[in-house]
Amino acid sequence: MNTITKPENANTGKERDHAMFDAELSGAVLNFHLLKRIVSWLKPYRIRLLVSGVLVLIASFTLVVMEVVISRVLVDYIIVGDANSVMPDLGMIEFTRSVETLFALPPLYAAGAVFFVLMSLSAVLGHWHRLTLIDAIVRALRDLRQDLFSHLESRPSSFYDRVPVGRIMTRVTNDVEALYEMLRGMGSLLGEFVPFLVALTIMLSTSVELTGILLLLVPIVGVATFYFRRATRDIFRRVRNSVSALNQYLQENLSGMQVVQLSQRQDRNRSEYTRINRENLTQEFKSIDLATFYGAFNDSLASIGLGIIIYYGAGAVVQDAMSLGGVILFTRFMNMLFTPVVMLGEQLNVLFRAMASGERIFQALDWDEQIHEPEHPKQLPQRLAGKVEFRNVHFSYTPGTPILKGVSVTVQAGEKLAIVGPTGSGKSTMIRLLGRFYDFPPGQIFLDDIDLNELHSRDVRQRIGVVLQDFHIFSGTILDNISLGNEQISREKAIAAAKTVNAHWFIERLEQGYDTQLVERGANLSQGQRQLLAFARVLAADPEILILDEATASIDTETEILIQDGLRKLMAGRTSILIAHRLQTIQEANHVLVLHLGEVKEYGTHQELIAADGLYRTLHELQFQDVVLDKDGDPIID
Amino acid sequence: MPYLKPYKGQVIVGFVGFFGARFFEISTYYLVAEGIDAIGEMLSELPAAFPYSVGEIGLFIVLTVLLRFVFVVQARRAFRRVGQQVSFDLREQLFASVQQQGSDFFSRIGVGDIMTRAIQDIALVQRLIAFGLIQTVIMVYAPLFALSAMFVKSVSLTLLILPLLPLIYIYAQWVATKMAVTSKAVQESLSELAAHTQENLSGIRTIQAQAQEENEIKRFFRTNDQYAGAFYEQARIGSLMSAWMPWLTALSQLTIIVYGGHLVLTGVLSVGDLIFFLACLNMLLQPIRMAGFFITLVARASVGVDRLCEIYDAPAEIVDQPSGLTAASIQGSFDIRDLSFSYPRSPHPVLSNISLSIKAGESIGIVGRVGSGKSTLLKQFTRMLDPPAGTLFLDGIDVREYPLALLRSQIAQVLQDPFLFGEPLRNNISYDDPERALEFIWESADSAALRGTIEEFPKQMETLVGERGVTLSGGQKQRTTLARGLIRDSAVLILDDCFSSVDTETEEHILSRLKQLRDGKTTILVSHRVSTLRHTDRIVVLEEGRIAEQGTHHQLLDLDGIYAELERLQTQGMSPAKPAAEPV
Repeated sequence: MNTITKPENANTGKERDHAMFDAELSGAVLNFHLLKRIVSWLKPYRIRLLVSGVLVLIASFTLVVMEVVISRVLVDYIIVGDANSVMPDLGMIEFTRSVETLFALPPLYAAGAVFFVLMSLSAVLGHWHRLTLIDAIVRALRDLRQDLFSHLESRPSSFYDRVPVGRIMTRVTNDVEALYEMLRGMGSLLGEFVPFLVALTIMLSTSVELTGILLLLVPIVGVATFYFRRATRDIFRRVRNSVSALNQYLQENLSGMQVVQLSQRQDRNRSEYTRINRENLTQEFKSIDLATFYGAFNDSLASIGLGIIIYYGAGAVVQDAMSLGGVILFTRFMNMLFTPVVMLGEQLNVLFRAMASGERIFQALDWDEQIHEPEHPKQLPQRLAGKVEFRNVHFSYTPGTPILKGVSVTVQAGEKLAIVGPTGSGKSTMIRLLGRFYDFPPGQIFLDDIDLNELHSRDVRQRIGVVLQDFHIFSGTILDNISLGNEQISREKAIAAAKTVNAHWFIERLEQGYDTQLVERGANLSQGQRQLLAFARVLAADPEILILDEATASIDTETEILIQDGLRKLMAGRTSILIAHRLQTIQEANHVLVLHLGEVKEYGTHQELIAADGLYRTLHELQFQDVVLDKDGDPIID
Repeated sequence: MPYLKPYKGQVIVGFVGFFGARFFEISTYYLVAEGIDAIGEMLSELPAAFPYSVGEIGLFIVLTVLLRFVFVVQARRAFRRVGQQVSFDLREQLFASVQQQGSDFFSRIGVGDIMTRAIQDIALVQRLIAFGLIQTVIMVYAPLFALSAMFVKSVSLTLLILPLLPLIYIYAQWVATKMAVTSKAVQESLSELAAHTQENLSGIRTIQAQAQEENEIKRFFRTNDQYAGAFYEQARIGSLMSAWMPWLTALSQLTIIVYGGHLVLTGVLSVGDLIFFLACLNMLLQPIRMAGFFITLVARASVGVDRLCEIYDAPAEIVDQPSGLTAASIQGSFDIRDLSFSYPRSPHPVLSNISLSIKAGESIGIVGRVGSGKSTLLKQFTRMLDPPAGTLFLDGIDVREYPLALLRSQIAQVLQDPFLFGEPLRNNISYDDPERALEFIWESADSAALRGTIEEFPKQMETLVGERGVTLSGGQKQRTTLARGLIRDSAVLILDDCFSSVDTETEEHILSRLKQLRDGKTTILVSHRVSTLRHTDRIVVLEEGRIAEQGTHHQLLDLDGIYAELERLQTQGMSPAKPAAEPV
């Protein structure tokens, strides 16, 4: 039996399993392949990144030099008067001296001038570094988002049948956002590590012993950070869960408030809410305790280092191994030593989150399902006659469960065909195939005797107007919703279309007429009005072929009459294929095709089929609702 | 802040804790300075001015650090916990408040809006308390300790630094305002981006059917680029602050270097004093830098509190004032006398002069087009909407005299919109009483023609519905809510168009069960279908809020009015006014 997908697409079937979208992705520790792929979007902006990197090196280096000016130049050289040439000063003492002689300044002012230049340099270069870095990242992520969107835009219907939009959404917004956090964090980490390394070098060259003792504190911070992160990951997850439980319960109660009140459940629900609320409080308390302890612990450890420096420094100074400025330098360096370690811990968390996000983004980019397009598509004439032929069509969405089993029917140009059948008979599949929303082998469906597989799907779709049951309204004005951004549809043309299909009467009554803003899903329009708007949209596009999946929901009778009349005008002169639920629609068709379990059961006019007393008659008696019929065509009542 | 009252004790702990913390913090700096001077004295072989050895000073430093640690942990924890406790209280109050509200309230403040207030505004208040209290305390203590210590050391140097403080404050304030503006812009463009994506992907079939993909990708770029631009701008402001704040701080350091250095050289100050000044400066500036954020936070939180109060202060929509003269159970007869109703803030009455008597045990069908007032009428019976006094009588007594709980527990009403909770099916059906025995639940599922559907689920009655569970079809949802109404076996049952997605065959099946179950009990149902309405004892046709026709099915057919026309349309599928056109 024929199946849909091209063989090269078929093998990934398991990956596209619905469960995949729910599954927590591997939660990979560090995936360099993934990282590389993320970074590949930064490539076009590598010059910016390079500039940014150089700038941060200089800027953070000046920060260290500023401390050297305070301790070595001010204290040792100017105040104590002992330059102590054993200790490094990064040439600042010499430099201050030359400033003194060059500008004839007293030493104190020379040091001040040097300090001023350094601090300004650090501020300006740092700002410049951040700007170039952010610019590069923001652009790269914008490109990534654009690529992701374009990719999603061209996935076929079969893809959206399975994947809930909400899940894809977060990949475009939240997941890309998480990458920003990571890339930005990596950038600023660089700015912290330069001072760390420079400070460490100076400290080591001053006193290996004291530096060694102080460095012992670093792993303590590291270990504490590690354990804290691990513990918070767990607690934060529980906090998040309790918060979302809280919100979900409130949301549900708000939406169903009438039911709650009618069922007299207020008290019971309130105590349930209190329980959830209290659980949240407990988790929040735990998280507070942990965060408070950790934050204070880190601060304190750096300060304890001060005590060690004073005690040890005194001994070193006496032995002339260190200068007084050297001791001060050590106290001032303590923060530079600890900040990057703490930040690294924080970045690790961001990195893990970003990895998961990256994985989700690339998973989305790797969804490669697509409609097979011919290499050299045939061109359609300006205006089609509109003959549609289904020739022994076989089709299944998943191998092994055929939906269509050899359906053949021809709709002559300008004719109207009504397709009726119980739920699951394959009606919708027939029209989906005609719109080329799914792949199927050649030689099965023909448009004006041209095989659909020899045409580009876009060309086909431009000739076919589809009115689906779940008519989608885009936020924008009514006019936008009729023209759908197609520039060839003028305001006049759109209004003329609305008039023809009886949509004009209600649009005109709206305060802003055709310029009324519609909200998404069209909540401010009634079911019937939306249907009329859908007609206007199709009529404005003026396709040669019309496909209608008639809505089943009950609409009040007056609107119903308008819809029937509008539909009649819409169908005029167009080949029309109707999945009909209303007797009147069916009676308007030239022929009726009765489909059951993927096979053509009956074909003829309404009168002929009623007379035949078969499946059609049963469906007629059931008022063409979407019912489930068993193999023999009897309704299954559950 | 009356919300803080119950947590007075913890607030005091916070205040005392921070006092201690600041004290020990400055002691640490003081000791470091003394230590440096002690080393300096050893170097120049001067007699020690401080009566302790460097070893002891080192020990004292460690001690003060540890003490500060203990105090800081206690203080911060206390304030942060108070913040969470207050938001706990605010949430409880919110939940209780919304339960008293009805349709008018929810039409004024939508569910999404209430959710935003419950999440964001309460979080703002919580942050204001946790962060704000800490900030206030630090703002008081830090200058108190740092400035007084600095003044003791050198009045002139301190005075020289002081003018920089307002400068830093003003800059911080400016940045905070600017940040608030840009972050709002980022939020807005982000939600626009999300909305654009969501809408686009939900309508992907339409877009593809109209071959508009290229166009949409171009349109998306505009939204996308706009968001990137807003984001960059926000980051730029942030970076500007990261550049100028340290610069301004460094400017104060410069003052200390040049003038302080001068003071040391002239012997007024020691080297340790100089370092002490630098440390105090940090302590002084940190809260000032944050002050700008604190002020915008206060402003935002007070808007949040206003928004919350709008919910808390809304009076209960339906006033429950039982007269005490009503019986403990009801018979189920209604008498509607000249009932007119209009929604608040709407000039047009939805119901005008409705008069109708319903006998106990009678079944009434109501039909009318969209907007004719059917649902509005039904909601009067359970006071989901409040009928004017003296217009609606239950068993001869004004419904307003009944205790609300009694009224709603004795009248079961199934709403038009089949709302299900994210809970197992059994809880959804037996929603009014989760402890009901399972067999009763099955029985009512059976009556609503739902047994077969449920039996197909592997977990049967325990099947979770909604987002995290199975998605039911429109018809299945309607049947579930129907079962929820039937299970109560109440004296009055009101069904608001709850067969619209159920196929006709199933509906027939349900209606015949309904006839048995409701024999001798009052049933009122709204439907568009003549095939449904014909089962009732009496049919009322509503048109523009008035009763246009009433009578039995056959009486109304004989009348040859609106109902008869409806019957023709539905059974013959065409309107006599507009005969079907011949196929072209």
